[in-house]
Amino acid sequence: MSGTARATPWRLEWRLFHGDRTVRVLALAFTALLGVAAATGRGWVAFQRETIQRVTEAERARYDSMAATAARYAAGDTAGRTPWTDPRMPNIVAGPRGGRYVALPPTPLAPLAVGQSDVLPYYTRVTNGAKLGFAGSDEIENPLNLLTGRFDLAFALIIVFPLLILVLTFNVTAGEREGGTLGLLLALPEAPGRLLGRKLLLRGGAAIGVALLGTSVVALATGGAAAPGRLALVLVLVAAYGLFWLGISATINAMGRGSGTSAVMALAAWLVVVVLAPTLFGAAVSVALPPPSRVALMTELRETSDAVNARGEALLQKYYLDHPEMMGGGGGNMKNFALRAAVVAEELDQAMAPAMTAFDAAVRAQLALADRWRYASPALVAHGALLDLAGTSSARYRAFDTQVDAFHRAWRQYFTPGLVSGAMLTPADLGALPQFTFVEESFGTVAARVLPGLALLVLLGAGLLLFSVRRLGATGVVAGR
Amino acid sequence: MLAVIARKEFLEMTRDGRFRWAAVVTALLLAAALTAGAVSWRAQRALQAQAAGQMREFWLNQGPRNPHSAAHYGLWAFKPKLTLAYLDQGVDPYTGVAAWLEAHKQNEFRFRPAADASAVQRLGDWTAAGILQVLVPLLIIVAGFGAFATEREQGTLRQLASLGVPARALVLGKVLGVGGALGLVLGPAAVLGAITLALAAGGPALVADLPRLALLAAVYLGYFLVVAAATLAVSARARTARAALVVLLLGWASTTLVMPRLAAGLARRAHPTPSAFAFAQAVSADLTGGVDGHSPGEDIERLKAETLRKYDVATVEALPVNFDAIAMQQGEEHGNAVFDRQFGRLYDTYRAQARVHALAGLVAPVLPVRALSMAIAGTDVEQHRAFATAAERYRRMLVKAMNEDMAANSRTGDFSYRAPPALWASIPSFAYEAPPLGEALAGAGTAFAVFTAWLVAAGLGLAAIRRLDVA
Repeated sequence: MSGTARATPWRLEWRLFHGDRTVRVLALAFTALLGVAAATGRGWVAFQRETIQRVTEAERARYDSMAATAARYAAGDTAGRTPWTDPRMPNIVAGPRGGRYVALPPTPLAPLAVGQSDVLPYYTRVTNGAKLGFAGSDEIENPLNLLTGRFDLAFALIIVFPLLILVLTFNVTAGEREGGTLGLLLALPEAPGRLLGRKLLLRGGAAIGVALLGTSVVALATGGAAAPGRLALVLVLVAAYGLFWLGISATINAMGRGSGTSAVMALAAWLVVVVLAPTLFGAAVSVALPPPSRVALMTELRETSDAVNARGEALLQKYYLDHPEMMGGGGGNMKNFALRAAVVAEELDQAMAPAMTAFDAAVRAQLALADRWRYASPALVAHGALLDLAGTSSARYRAFDTQVDAFHRAWRQYFTPGLVSGAMLTPADLGALPQFTFVEESFGTVAARVLPGLALLVLLGAGLLLFSVRRLGATGVVAGR
Repeated sequence: MLAVIARKEFLEMTRDGRFRWAAVVTALLLAAALTAGAVSWRAQRALQAQAAGQMREFWLNQGPRNPHSAAHYGLWAFKPKLTLAYLDQGVDPYTGVAAWLEAHKQNEFRFRPAADASAVQRLGDWTAAGILQVLVPLLIIVAGFGAFATEREQGTLRQLASLGVPARALVLGKVLGVGGALGLVLGPAAVLGAITLALAAGGPALVADLPRLALLAAVYLGYFLVVAAATLAVSARARTARAALVVLLLGWASTTLVMPRLAAGLARRAHPTPSAFAFAQAVSADLTGGVDGHSPGEDIERLKAETLRKYDVATVEALPVNFDAIAMQQGEEHGNAVFDRQFGRLYDTYRAQARVHALAGLVAPVLPVRALSMAIAGTDVEQHRAFATAAERYRRMLVKAMNEDMAANSRTGDFSYRAPPALWASIPSFAYEAPPLGEALAGAGTAFAVFTAWLVAAGLGLAAIRRLDVA
């Protein structure tokens, strides 16, 4: 009985809300934007998947042709053979011809947020050369487009979604007052706080509902079902972020100002949280810890590689001194040349290690600072969490980089015995070379990174909402001054 | 009368708390951006100059070496930053400022600073240009949204009309008033800009860059005029000040924040950028398959026959020159044709995309303004292309000089030849002059046309307000 009685005001409220033409237009516009965002994310992920597939196919073709050639040479037919193309020679396979592609496949939720994925390499070719020699298979996207950024779901949710909530709810009290209906509402036997709270919840809830629905549709349509745990967290995140903005709007409503002032306050809040805080924050981070200079690193690399190359012969001799058992074996000059190249590359990586580590540490410190202080703005919290969940944050790319490093070492080690002994690889060997597979961060790790921010958003939102609904209960505030 | 209206508008605005706050925040942000920009510009330039010097030293001091090995040794060329780049760093974070020059190949962008920064930096661009393009329009909106709508709500518009104040005088007066209030923010910012510029780059640089600076100021002033006209037009038609504000703010958010991203998506859809992998495959297919249908191998055979005939000998070993070097140069020429074609195509795609961005400017004036601002500051894609082309020209000159020295001073098959260090010194250092202002502007022609259209529309729009609804 009382259930129906409570349900009626909600339904009435919904009818009022639903009948508003502005609401319909806004909902339609926001849905259209979500559609564009979905297409953007989907397009970019498809581009990456296709590229990775092409890379993999090209590599397979290359390996097939190497195996065929190796089999032909092994059978005694060596027509056209040169020492710098023979696919049985370990240095050729380890380096220019056989270099292995390693790839970081987009996650099932990658279509939700482009993040840093368009400026960080997602595949690269590993050889036994020095690391800096193969680092950098960057895409060649138009820098103007990179500068502009993509209209992805992350942008729609972080930047546009709050506007939708604010526009729908900022003048719930002021609107009633200015429309002259507030007195009527206050005359009802229901507490004004509950009445206005219901209006707010309904309108804000509708906006959050549209965002949740849109996000689910986009995620499910682009294969997001493969990561249900992460998807659930994304949805919680969308709701929590919406709740925060609803809390802001409720606070503004509870101040009891006029529509104009309320609009300005809502806008100011949005501007500070969404535009100014991230911008200032980004600037502060790069002033406090400027990104290290690649130019300086390049200069150092050049100096170091000159020094290491000059010591090439000595390094080779030292290697033989350390491994006298390796002096024998066939191959002669070519073998020495190949081994020297490998030894020099390894030595170069070692010599560059301090500089690389320092560079890396500087980048890490900057990212860590940005990570620690993202709590300065809820927009940053939500943005960071979304990127983490979509697997397009710098963190995942750094994990990829670390794993590629390990693979690089394994790749080298695999070939060293052959380089030293001069033993030829067989066609069967070519089929059994080390392979790379990216090991994804566990759900637990990602969740642990995301949850504090989520909790903060929920606490802030719920706190603001409760506080202002209580304040709205005081009729004086509602009636205005 | 005009002065009275302008003065009233100016006073009212400068006494409004909302405007004051917005103005103070904008001014502080602008000041901080200018200072930080100048400091980092100076540091980057010093670093670059030092690196360029060091790279030259490495090149000069490489000792006796085979010229071909020197060509492989290669070097880095750096793109000098124009002084105004500190106001608008444009695409520099996404292109990097260095090109790696070596034998046999033209390289793409490497080491983009944006890749080493955190994702946060991409949510907002905190340079003077970013503030002028995005935040100042907001300030104008806050200043002007009530210009007519508030007077209408309060009934003073009716009074003014009854007094016989012409609508045109009212409009012009309000434009002047808003302009004056803005001047309070932008005037000191411009002075500060000039001071930071002089401090960072020195007085002579300031003088040399005066035309660019003046043009940049004109572009931004024009932009502000367009925004002010739009604000007043909305305010003149809106029933209430609140409605005007909401419409203007939504318009601002969609044109400055959403539209540019949609334009980028549109540009990519209309003119897809190839993947780096597909691009590399196309280059290597051209390199091995030949551009004009016959393979590079056939070319080498023909060249060999020609050379033998020229020196009247039977074998390449008998030649007084090194045929390997001649053949390598031939390979370079072939490669150069391939690079010209493929990179030309890639940059043409960029250009076509930029045109889409500029045309999207018909609905989002920030786009042509951004394009012009980058063009004037020397940080747009066209000027990156100019740099890349100059660097590539230098690379070709260097590699050719190496091959020619090797051809003249050694015999075929002899890789033991070591060129003296004098050869390294005979290669001039890489010196790059950025395109002059006229050329830079021509590169942003579409944007210029679209921007002019906006200015004309703004002027016509303001002039068209003859009659004002008083209620």
